[in-house]
Amino acid sequence: MRILKVIISALIFNFFALNANAQSLYEKLGENPKIHKIMVRTLELSMEDERIAFTLERSDLDRLAQLLTDQTCELTGGPCKYEGVDMKKAHVGLGLTTGHFNALVEHLQQAMREENISNRTQNQLLALFAPMHRDVVEK
Amino acid sequence: MDELLRSLFEKKYKRLVCIIRSVISVHFNCLKFVMLGVMSFPTAVNAEGLFSQGKLIATGGVSQVEGAGGSGLTTWALITGYGTNKGMGVNAHHTAVWLSDFTLQSSGLSVGLFDRVELSFAHQWFDTGEAGARLGIGEGFTFDQDIIGAKVRLIGAAVYDQDKWLPQIAIGANYKRSGDKALVAALGAANTDSFDYYVSATKVILDQSLILSATARLTEANQFGLLGYGSATSTHTLHGEFSAAYMFTPKLVAGIDYRTKPDNLAFAEEQDAKAAYVAYFFNKNLSLTLAGVDLGTIALQGKQRGFYASLQAGF
Ligand code: HEM
Repeated sequence: MRILKVIISALIFNFFALNANAQSLYEKLGENPKIHKIMVRTLELSMEDERIAFTLERSDLDRLAQLLTDQTCELTGGPCKYEGVDMKKAHVGLGLTTGHFNALVEHLQQAMREENISNRTQNQLLALFAPMHRDVVEK
Repeated sequence: MDELLRSLFEKKYKRLVCIIRSVISVHFNCLKFVMLGVMSFPTAVNAEGLFSQGKLIATGGVSQVEGAGGSGLTTWALITGYGTNKGMGVNAHHTAVWLSDFTLQSSGLSVGLFDRVELSFAHQWFDTGEAGARLGIGEGFTFDQDIIGAKVRLIGAAVYDQDKWLPQIAIGANYKRSGDKALVAALGAANTDSFDYYVSATKVILDQSLILSATARLTEANQFGLLGYGSATSTHTLHGEFSAAYMFTPKLVAGIDYRTKPDNLAFAEEQDAKAAYVAYFFNKNLSLTLAGVDLGTIALQGKQRGFYASLQAGF
């Protein structure tokens, strides 16, 4: 079975070769200028999505994009310090659901795609955001 | 984007249906109607709607061979469909496996409830073709079985718990009932219906773009149950299902499955099953899984290798 061999090789390659890549996630995301662009675009797409636009209606989106950029930069090993509140405090009372959370993730994925971030790098960032589900989602 | 895909798909759709329908049985007709229904089903945009498909694409898996949420041959701990803890999802699937001497097909429906419970029904049929004549049961004799499944997610969140090692864990059972009671008894099966019990653990490792899954299944099903259950000398034994998949994009997943099976019947040896597959999720309503499979020897007819195609439509 040739397909089997190809897929096994791909899995092994994935574990060893790509992990040897020394570039930090912060670098792979294109550092602050690109991360900021991605966050602005994520919020823009979110405002066009009636599933979640209402949650952001009264927010200062420029400020939020900057906070998201700082947070992402810090999380991925960049030279930044996030100075906003913790994730539980930031979202308390918004009544966010898993559906809301995933909607935002979908926009973040699209924003990263538009900036030609590789799928693998995208997932590495999502791996850092995913556990925040516990603090962000209330019901 | 969705609109574009949909219009693109609708053009290609008619041709695709013609091609596939000429190969797959009349049962495909049923699925076609379900699919048309799904394509015209307005996508609910309200995040609170019961059918709002709040999960991320591909995270409900596809319908595996017994109708449960999983990959091609293995059951996963994920709950089928796109319902979150506040929603539900419904799927229809049709699967055809063209083997060296036989064809195996499966049609079914499954429901995911609040990302907690999964219920499934599948009808499987196994056409012996010319091998039927060699086996003395008549050319084209077709074995069939019904499978009713239930799965409950116990603990863990496969996608969100990226900071923990704990996988998502589910337990489940399949009730399998043969449609050919007299013949499977004549082949040496002890029972014409039976339960499988399983516990399944699935972990999405986003950092590696990997999905890993393992299932322990207590079963006495001969060839998934198509040749009855158990024999004069053997009953339930413990078997393993293992799956590893790589997420190339959110919509394109490829992986391998390995599944051990019982070897109960005296007249014919039974071996492990393997598959290498690619699943493409056109959107949250439609996915196609293609695979190369090796089901081992079946009913003395030598190694059964072949091609697996499965279409799943849902909302
Ligand atoms: C992993 C997911 C998420 C991350 C990393 C994140 C991050 C943040 C950050 C850094 C802030 C600013 C906190 C501060 O003001 O100090 C914030 C606020 C906020 N977030 Fe999120 N968030 C996430 C998910 C969501 C979701 C799913 C929604 C809604 C659909 C949402 C809506 C909001 C709103 C409305 C605010 C308040 C903004 C304001 O103060 O005007 N967030 N979030």
